[in-house]
Amino acid sequence: MYDLVIIGGGPAGVGAGVYAARKKIKTVLIADSFGGQSIVSNDVQNWIGMKSVTGLELAKMLEEHLRSYQSGLDIWDNDLVVKIEKAGNGFIVSTKNGKTAETKTILVCSGGSRRRLGVPGEDKLDGKGVAWCATCDAPLFGGKTVAVVGGGNSGLESAIDLNSYADKLYLLHRGDKLKGDLITQEKILAMSKITVIYNAVVQEILGDKLVTGLRYKDIITGEERTLEVGGVFIEVGNVPNSAFIKDLVKTNDFGEIIADARTQQSSAAGIWAAGDVSDVKYKQNNISVGDAILAVLNIFDYLHRQNNS
Amino acid sequence: MKTVKIYTTPTCVYCKMAKEFFNKNGIQYEEHNVAEDLKARQDMIDRSHQLGVPVIDVDGEIFVGFDRPALSKALGI
Repeated sequence: MYDLVIIGGGPAGVGAGVYAARKKIKTVLIADSFGGQSIVSNDVQNWIGMKSVTGLELAKMLEEHLRSYQSGLDIWDNDLVVKIEKAGNGFIVSTKNGKTAETKTILVCSGGSRRRLGVPGEDKLDGKGVAWCATCDAPLFGGKTVAVVGGGNSGLESAIDLNSYADKLYLLHRGDKLKGDLITQEKILAMSKITVIYNAVVQEILGDKLVTGLRYKDIITGEERTLEVGGVFIEVGNVPNSAFIKDLVKTNDFGEIIADARTQQSSAAGIWAAGDVSDVKYKQNNISVGDAILAVLNIFDYLHRQNNS
Repeated sequence: MKTVKIYTTPTCVYCKMAKEFFNKNGIQYEEHNVAEDLKARQDMIDRSHQLGVPVIDVDGEIFVGFDRPALSKALGI
């Protein structure tokens, strides 16, 4: 019987794991990989204490820090939680690899996944010009005209990555103003290859074997236009990875687990949530770590109270 | 020993993870940097119909992305 199951290996899960081990809470951390969503980033400049670090380096640092406490907690990596059932006062957590853990409490740090556009052509042309990682794939679009969908930080950074390779870039944004950090917006607006198209909602991605274009609608005029592009990079935000637990806890309209901001406790006794899977207002690595540690300290108090009652 | 080819770009994280996975398991591989090698890029696109890296070829079988369980199976590790 475990005291705590931590689900996830991003900054939140690892932060929680380190604190749980130091508090000698009997813990297993279950994660398919380490590092979280920033792993694909070329250059993280806001991880406090480091001026610059790649996502992969950050992931390795996190994993190494966690593994230095290996004697203090169990780690089931390359695995994924698929089911959680209530059992008495606690829970039984089942994984894809067929393991089960009985536990008194659960901390969900399962993060988010990429939001898809949900338009025709997106699935069919996935990997065939529809792309999700500008850092990885930008060099393959050398000499092409490429569209980036999304005017938040990720969209802006993708456009900057692509600027070194593509001949011409369209940045499509559904709002009338870009959303990312001002410092990044200024960079984008100064790049001569990039045309920003505002109020644009993608209707369809075109192409047979490879992407040849996209059709979008101007939501102010209602007019539809087609762009000839050889690639579409989609950066339209995230969806929380909460499907496996949504029957046990309250979630908001976005599927985020509603967590009390003072304790990170969910609506269900014995379950906490932190990081991008929770309804935290700002999705940031540094915030995820802090919130997850807050949760572990609260879980420590909860377990202590239970043992004394 | 199976012949392993990996098509990569220098900035691709999943390519680095795949190569580390090969190194850790003593798998020898041939790397093609498709950011610079245009012939290899065309070869990759023709064979995999993919415009994304990594693409991994194990004895002619094509794997798209770094799919650790599938690669482990194909390589018998």
